[in-house]
Amino acid sequence: MNDLPMLELVGVSHHYMARKSSFDHGLHHVLDNVSLRVMPGDTLGIVGRNGAGKTTMLRLMAGIIEPRQGVIRRRAGASCALLSLGLGFQDSLSGRDNALISAMLQGVSKRDALASLDAVREFTELGDSFEEPVKTYSSGMRARLGFASGLLTRVDILLIDEVLSVGDAQFRDKALAAMQQRLGGEQTVVFVSHAEGQLKALCDRAVWIEQGQLRAEGTPEEVIAQYRQPVAALR
Amino acid sequence: MTLSQYATLMDTMARLSLKADASRYFFGYVWWVLEPLLYVLVFYVVFELILQNRKEDFVVFLMCGQLAFVWFSKSLNQASRSILGSKGLVGRVDIPKSLFPLATIQEGLYKQAAVFLLLFAVLLAKGYTPSLVWGWLLPVMLVNYLLIVACSLFAAYLVCWVFDFHVFISMATIFLMFTSGVFWDPRDLDPAMTYWVLTLNPLAFLLDAYRQIMLEGVAPNAAHLAIVGSIALLVALAGLAVLRRHSRFIALRVITS
Repeated sequence: MNDLPMLELVGVSHHYMARKSSFDHGLHHVLDNVSLRVMPGDTLGIVGRNGAGKTTMLRLMAGIIEPRQGVIRRRAGASCALLSLGLGFQDSLSGRDNALISAMLQGVSKRDALASLDAVREFTELGDSFEEPVKTYSSGMRARLGFASGLLTRVDILLIDEVLSVGDAQFRDKALAAMQQRLGGEQTVVFVSHAEGQLKALCDRAVWIEQGQLRAEGTPEEVIAQYRQPVAALR
Repeated sequence: MTLSQYATLMDTMARLSLKADASRYFFGYVWWVLEPLLYVLVFYVVFELILQNRKEDFVVFLMCGQLAFVWFSKSLNQASRSILGSKGLVGRVDIPKSLFPLATIQEGLYKQAAVFLLLFAVLLAKGYTPSLVWGWLLPVMLVNYLLIVACSLFAAYLVCWVFDFHVFISMATIFLMFTSGVFWDPRDLDPAMTYWVLTLNPLAFLLDAYRQIMLEGVAPNAAHLAIVGSIALLVALAGLAVLRRHSRFIALRVITS
């Protein structure tokens, strides 16, 4: 059973239309023939410049959107959650209410979700702000809420988009430690980050995406070294 | 997601949104009944005071029609933008897209319960007494709800597909307000015209049914009500199927809009 991948992308290409002006379609290519496998218990890091297609790739993996070409296979019955920054909050609701909806959206029952809220509150260290509308939050506070409400739900595949890159140093360390605790067992993680130190610390494999194509695959050290070369050359 | 999880989530989203909405306004929950009453007031000033409408008990006549119409129009307009307005959630979780319009409609349903209570209080104060015929209000309200769901699911889909549709939806609500007998009585028209208005416009039929039940003590045409209800149910089920089938297409449209 464990020889089967948890998540597999086969020849995945993706593009979409986005209007720049009226009567225009504007075709944007995001991913171009990407194939990769994530085994159970793997922690895969994805590096690439802004706009390289990393977030789209996570959304495809999570099944939020579907690719124009190619196939995405997830192990049958595997649950999946995408943690991303700032997104997914309803601004007029309090942190507590947002955490409740967030947990219920992951399939947690209302009773269990309500029971987990105090743990979320404690982890975020937001104090009384947890009861205030999210529109009053700073970006760091949003990141705390997003990370805590996502991490406390148990899923088979955790997709993390930049969540660990913001917030103050103390919370980053706490979040990193919490992540490392989760990574020991069967937890499968795909991790997008610009923080090279975190990638090296957490991931056992990494890929580099550039202009929608897979440029390199290997250990985080190797991939980051290759990724840095052309970035340095561009300067 | 099981059906009961879906229903709990929809209801929770509606209740939390009501709470957040109330805390945003100084008058909070009072707006639930204040807003529909202000609509009635505007029409009252225009039609009773300025245009000197001769209809007996015009305020009660107006309230019976208008309060039900505002339920329909507000729910439809808010639900039609609900998926697009939840860009953050749509881009983060693969959830049934029908949750958003249905939660918005659920929110309207809670408000409407308070509005109907107010309407009953006004009717009692004006000397109208409930009779057994008032039991017909339940199926009429159910069909009214189904009509809202049917229209809203397709409207929400169309607005995600091409944003320009929201202009049509606002226009359509204004058109319906003038053609559904909100401030005029279809029964005052030439009998042939009365027949066509009540047959072709399900909303006009429902508003008339509310008035017939509460003001005249007359049961509505059961066969007509059943037909409107069945069509609305079928369209609503088709809407659910469309939103389900095109869930990822909708997500893509919303994310890239």
